[in-house]
Order: sequence, then C-alpha cells, then structure tokens
Amino acid sequence: MKQRSLLQKCLAAPHMVWTVLFIIAPLLFVAYYAFTDSEGAFTFDNILKSLEADYMVIFFRSISLAIIATFICLIIAYPMAYAISRAKPSAQKIIIMLVMLPMWMNFLIRTYSWMSILEDTGFINQLLIKLGLEPVHMINTSGAVVLGMVYNFLPYMILPIYTVMVKIDRRLVEAAHDLGCNSFGVMTKVIFPLSISGVVSGVTMVFVPSISTFYISQKLGGGNFDLIGDTIERQFQTAYNYNLGAAISLILMVLIIISMAIMNKFSDEDGGMVV
Amino acid sequence: MKTMSRLYTTLIFVFLYAPIGILVLFSFNVSNSTGVFMGFSLDWYKELFRDSATLAALKNTLILAVTSSVIATVIGTAAAVGIDRMKNQYVKGALISATNIPMMNPDIVTGISMMLLFVFVGGLLKLDNNLSFATLLIAHITFNLPYVILSVLPKIRQLDSQLPEAAMDLGCTPMKAFFKVELPAIMPGVLSGLIMAFTLSLDDFVISYFTIGSGFETLPIRIYSMTKKRVTPDMYALSTLIFIAVLLLLILSNVISAKAEKKPKKK
Amino acid sequence: MTESNAGRIIELKNIRKSFDGETVLDGINLDIHDKEFVTFLGPSGCGKTTTLRIIAGFETPDFGEVFFDGAKINDLPPYKRQVNTVFQKYALFPHLNVYENVAFGLRLGKKLKEEEISRRVKDMLRMVNLSGFERRNVESLSGGQQQRVAIARALINHPRVLLLDEPLGALDLKLRKDMQNELKNIQMQTGITFIYVTHDQEEALSMSDVIVVMNEGVIQQIGTPTDIYNEPVNAFVADFIGESNILDGVMLEDYKAKFSNQTFDCLDKGFAKGEAVDIVVRPEDVDVVPVEKGMLSGIVTSVTFKGVHYEIIVDIGGFKWMIQTTDFVAQDEHIGLYIEPDAIHVMKKSKYSDQFGDYSSFSDELDELSVNTEEE
Repeated sequence: MKQRSLLQKCLAAPHMVWTVLFIIAPLLFVAYYAFTDSEGAFTFDNILKSLEADYMVIFFRSISLAIIATFICLIIAYPMAYAISRAKPSAQKIIIMLVMLPMWMNFLIRTYSWMSILEDTGFINQLLIKLGLEPVHMINTSGAVVLGMVYNFLPYMILPIYTVMVKIDRRLVEAAHDLGCNSFGVMTKVIFPLSISGVVSGVTMVFVPSISTFYISQKLGGGNFDLIGDTIERQFQTAYNYNLGAAISLILMVLIIISMAIMNKFSDEDGGMVV
Repeated sequence: MKTMSRLYTTLIFVFLYAPIGILVLFSFNVSNSTGVFMGFSLDWYKELFRDSATLAALKNTLILAVTSSVIATVIGTAAAVGIDRMKNQYVKGALISATNIPMMNPDIVTGISMMLLFVFVGGLLKLDNNLSFATLLIAHITFNLPYVILSVLPKIRQLDSQLPEAAMDLGCTPMKAFFKVELPAIMPGVLSGLIMAFTLSLDDFVISYFTIGSGFETLPIRIYSMTKKRVTPDMYALSTLIFIAVLLLLILSNVISAKAEKKPKKK
Repeated sequence: MTESNAGRIIELKNIRKSFDGETVLDGINLDIHDKEFVTFLGPSGCGKTTTLRIIAGFETPDFGEVFFDGAKINDLPPYKRQVNTVFQKYALFPHLNVYENVAFGLRLGKKLKEEEISRRVKDMLRMVNLSGFERRNVESLSGGQQQRVAIARALINHPRVLLLDEPLGALDLKLRKDMQNELKNIQMQTGITFIYVTHDQEEALSMSDVIVVMNEGVIQQIGTPTDIYNEPVNAFVADFIGESNILDGVMLEDYKAKFSNQTFDCLDKGFAKGEAVDIVVRPEDVDVVPVEKGMLSGIVTSVTFKGVHYEIIVDIGGFKWMIQTTDFVAQDEHIGLYIEPDAIHVMKKSKYSDQFGDYSSFSDELDELSVNTEEE
C-alpha cells in the first residue's frame, strides 16, 4: 500500500544520513589525508613513503604473522567446531556460550594476563623450574605475538565454522556412508565442502584483526615486532603525522580487500557460499 | 572418538580460560605482584572501590554503552524495517554494504577514519577540543549500527506479511499495526541487537582510543593507560567483577531467548 | 436471486487490476447480497484472491468501482471497512495468546470495559468450540484450532461481511469436512455475509448459496450450486465443476441435438438451426445397457472400482467417455449407452470449447497432481 511504503521508506532515512556522514565521509577523509601534505596540497609522497623498505618490512611481518595465526586458528578451530556440532543440542548451547564468554572480557587485560604467564619469571617458567627443567624465554618473541593473536581471535574462527556445520543435514552423512564412503571420505567429500563458507568467514574474521592489531604486539612482542597497527597508531597518537598514517591505513585496506577477494574466489570455485 | 573429542575440547578451554583463571587468582593476591601468589586477601577489591578514577571510568563506560546502544537500536531497528520495504534493489544493496563497512574494516581504520573526520570538522569550526564525549558517542553508535541491523533484519524477513494486513483488517492504522503487531514480533531480534551493541560498546578499546576526547575516560582506555606501566592486582579485581557481570548478562539473555523459543514451533 | 437494490451489500463494477503489466482482473461485475454465502471458485491465478483483497481494501482497483451499502469505498483503507478477513495461513499474532488474539479488534477504537471484552471473547470462543483455550499460545495449537481462533478474531467486531481466503487449504481432508459444516453453521447463526475463496469445487458446492466461477480474471458464471452443476454455461465451468463428457454437437432444432453421429432428444431450446454447440453429459447420468438397447455403443477401455460405483472409460467412435455405473462391466466388453433427454445439457460454443471433456488421457494420478499444484 502506498501510504505504508512512503512512511516506511522514511524509516531508513536517519540511518542513511548516518551512514553517509559517519561511514562514507570518514573513509573519504582517509583518502584525502593520504593524498595531501600537512598544508593540504595534493601529493603522492605519503603513499611512496609507506612503500619504502622500512615499512615494507613491517607490512611483510604483519602479513606473515597474521597468516600464521589464521592458519593455526583454523587447524585448532575446525576439529573443535566439528566436535561441538556433534554434541547434544543442550550441551552445544553451553559450549558455545563458554567459547564466547572470554570475548566479552576486556581483551587488554586478558592479553596482559598472558604476560604474567609467559614472562621469564612467569607462571610457565615457575612451573618448569619446579619440575627441575630449564626455563624457556617466551615473552617478546614473534611466537608470543602469534600466540596472542590465536588466543584473542580463536572464537571468531570457531563460531562461524560451527554455525555452518550444525546446519549440515545429518542425512547427508548417512547418505554418503550408504553410498560407500568411509569416515575419512565423508569428512573430505561431504563435511568440508559444505563447511567452506564458514571457513571463509572465520578466516576473514581472524585475519583482519590479526593484521591490524597493535596492542598484542606491544605487550607480547615487547615493541620488537612492529606491525602495521603499531605504525598507524604511532602516526596518530605520538608522531602526529596524520597524512602518513592515513596512507598506511589506505594500503592496509587495499591489502585486506585483495585478500578477501582471493578468499572469495577460492570459495566460489569450491562452490561454497560467500558469507 | 567420544573421549578424544572431549579431551580436545577440554584442552581448548584450558587455553581459552588460562589467562582468565590467572587474573582471577591474582586479584586475591596479598602482594601487589601479578606473577607470584603470596596468599589470599580481598585487599585489591577494597582498593578498587577506593579508586575514584576507575569508578568514574566505569560509570562513563556504562553511560556510553547505554546511550550508544539505545540510540543505535532505535536507528537500526527503524533502518532494518525501512531496508526490508525498499523496492530498489540497488539502493538496498548499496546501503546494506555501506552499513557493514565498520564490521569488515579493521577497528583501527574505523577509529582513525572517524578521528580524521572529527579533527577536520573541528578545525573548520575552530573548536579547541576536537574530540569529546559526543565524538565518542557518534563512533560507538556507528560501529553498533550494523550489529543491530544484522540481528533485526532476519526477524523482519521471517515475519508473515499477512500479520500487518490482519491488524489493519481488524481496525489498526498502518502505524498502529507496526507498533502493536510487527514490533512485538521482531522484539527478540531487537533485544539481542541491543544486548550485542551494549556489550560491544562496553568492551571497545581501539575505536574509543582514537575518538575519545581529553577529560573523559572509559574503562578500556583506563586499563590501557594502566597496562602501560606495571599493573596492580586491583585491575584484575575489576576484571573479575566485570567477568562475573558479563556471565550473568549472558545467562540472562540465554534465559530470555530460551523462553522465546519455548513456544513450540509448529512445522 | 432478486435483482432489487435493497439486498445488495457489495457491488463491484467493471473492476480491472493488473500487476506488473499482467492483467489479473479483466472487468469484474458482481453484486453480493446481504446474508449470503458467496464462494469465488476457480483455479489458482484466476483472480479470486485479488477480488477478495480489493473488497478487504488491501488492493485498490486500477479501474472500476467498489460499493459497500451503496457508498463507493475504492479509497477507504482496510481499517475503516466493515469487513474482516480470515487469512489463508491464519496470520495469528504470534506474540499474543488465544484470548488476546481474539480481543485484538476490541482493544482498538473506543475503550471497552475489561468485563465487556472478556464476555465477548468468551462468547466468541464458545461459538468456535475453543472454550478453555484462552491462555494458550497460538503457536501451540493445531491447524484446525488456529483456524478457529482466526475465525473468532475476525468475527469479534461483528463485521457486515466476512472474507475467507482459502481458510481450509492447510487442513487435512477429514478436518476440512468438519470445518465446512461448522463454517456454514456459524454463517447461519450470525447472519453475516460470507465471501469464501476456494479452488475446491466440492467445498464450493456443499457450502455456498451462490458460486462465482472465475477463470483468467473473468467471471465465467454466477449461480446457485445446482445451477452451476446442472447448467454450466461453457466448457470451462462444466469441466471445472464435477466430471463431464463434453462433445461437439449441432442443434438441429429446439429440443433436438445431434452428437456422436446420433440425434438425441433434449430439453434445450433457443439455439439457431444447425448451430454448432458443446454438449455436456455428466458421467452419472448415463445408463449402461446391452448393445442392442443402447443409443450409443462402444468398447470399455478401463474399469476402476470407486467404492459406491465403478468408473469406466468407454471408447465411442474414438471419443472416450467417462461413465459412472453401479453395474459391473468388464474391460474390452462391448456395451450400449442410454441417455435420457434431461441428462443432456447444451452450451454455446466458447473459447474453452475443445479444451476439455475428453477422457482419453485421463488418469487419477494426473487429476491429483493438478489439485496439488493448485494449492501452491
């Protein structure tokens, strides 16, 4: 009915205005700052500077650590998600709640808490000494940074994969067995192809925060492993070079868009859905 | 197989809860060490309640979370209804994609992009303090919106299109039909959107970090500045209390949704 | 049916409606009289539901006028019309219990005392046999119970007209029969005009005072169930309602028709001499006799036992007849057929001629399939 649709079209208006003002416009400002100098004149200097060797090392480090963390998350989360999806429905609810619960706790504190565990005089090393073993140096290594990423973002991998898996019709598994598939065949030929969309969104949800984090690398890397996030943060909070910071952010966005495109293409070819 | 998966799940949970266990433990420590446990005491909890700056930050965080989540829920619910009714598929698709940008973009980019906007506009208006509670509120509403819309939109799509017609048939104006029939039917989605927005706002550090003004401090920001130095266990005590609060909130929301699902769905 | 103006409650005048360029209603003219049980009958896509929605006010016609009690209501919104609707899938409000669903219409508009509301809701629930279900959640009810709630909810405001859009479509056969009787009783008890939409011809025949047969956005025939059954105006109506053998024929003169190369006495007149016509013979109106006594003769090609009768297909000169008989005949038997003059119905040729009426490709399965697809 006409009167209805008019009224209800207006309902989205505040949000539309909001989206333009506070989502689109800020991104345009990122582009604007990236391509201007401190006087506001057009320049490519910021972009070129971000692509110099110093920064390329950081980009490369961020990408590799993020890929490693994402991969470890996937390896850990996939069997976990599968196990949860096979549990009793009532148990599933509780387990999922337990997976989500740590996410609602301040991640700074949780990350800081890892420091007390990994430190040279920390929890693990105290334990090792008590057991008569040699203490191991863990804090301020790239391994500790990856551990922080895996720890913080693991739930983002488990949840989407679980969501897809729990929807897989159990009769499909039975049908595959019926047609002569063994358990391994069911896993590779039925479960995995059907869960690929969950894997894709899980990978995205872990990769994006991993590549852009700065707190984890500050605390668990001890400042020795600068990531893209650290570089951006420094430009805005201490160096006050907004133009360079905007340029690096722009490159980060482009990087993420490219990797998402690759992911989506990969999952399309496998016939999975893009979430 | 069964025991294998049970063992595996348990191991993951040990990993996920180890740091939480550590900080709960050390919140009861006698000494100010966060590494060596010397004995049980509640001193840090007492200390916490004497720390007016932390309590003020807690209050700020709650005010911010309540206002931003309520505003985002109102705008987002209206938007979800509007989006659902949109005829033009291109406008609809473009709006949904734009809405989702803060969800897909790294928080740090969202944060600095808004900071640049505020700094630029503040510069134009010649404001001394470009960033304030208002900018923080705007930022929080912005990243809450997609989550609200995401949780309301499916509920609207599931809605039987005959319901508003039935209400109008019985004498409701279109407006009344919306408030008496459609809104109650999508209420579970609205509530879960609200809860999600509230918790996200409560927990946000990165975006707040770039958009917060001086003279205003939220809890995550305060925790950040404290973790720059050596943290004392009163922060752990605070986290333990927050953890318990979140746990209660989660249980509550689960009870609500369980109640909503209790109505046995016929086919 | 009287043609006096007094009894008319709804008048549709030359209603046209199209969606996205596709014509759904193509000039509907219809008078509905007070206190009648009127059924719109037709296959899916015939425009019956759209007509109903125009009366309810959910759609506005592109062209033509809708009158209610003599006043034009084209632009009156649904919430101001004295009609209420029972929706196809009930559209009960999921967040309200049975009591509140029924009370919904009472709580709008002028304030009523809670005792008054309670009394009226209880009366209404008693009428639809749902006393004691007040506090139940609507989603916990069976289909038939939800149906009753929907009826009670629509009747609570005492509408002048109740619109029912395939209300029994989702129920199983047995329940459907019971509900048919109940609906008819409720209509007689309340004296409210019912406009009922269905694609089920049996339902239409057993419940209605007047049936409006529709196809392709056009009213094919308006009449009482017996009119419609005994004197269909064209091949579409004859085929859609009941089983029919429809043959090409020629009207030789008044009361004499020729078909299947034979001349028959009939009761029809008023056709031009030698006019080509469609002849309808209902399967139950044909007597099976020995070949020598038959007016027609043919070979039995199939026999199906149906309980009360056998349904046989007889090949007469290449045209397959369906005949229902209580006498057993064997397949491949040569039999004669005897047709009384009153069993023959003569119709003008229409665009539906030659589309229906031959049972050469007939099978029960196909019949059921077409019914299922109509239910969408």
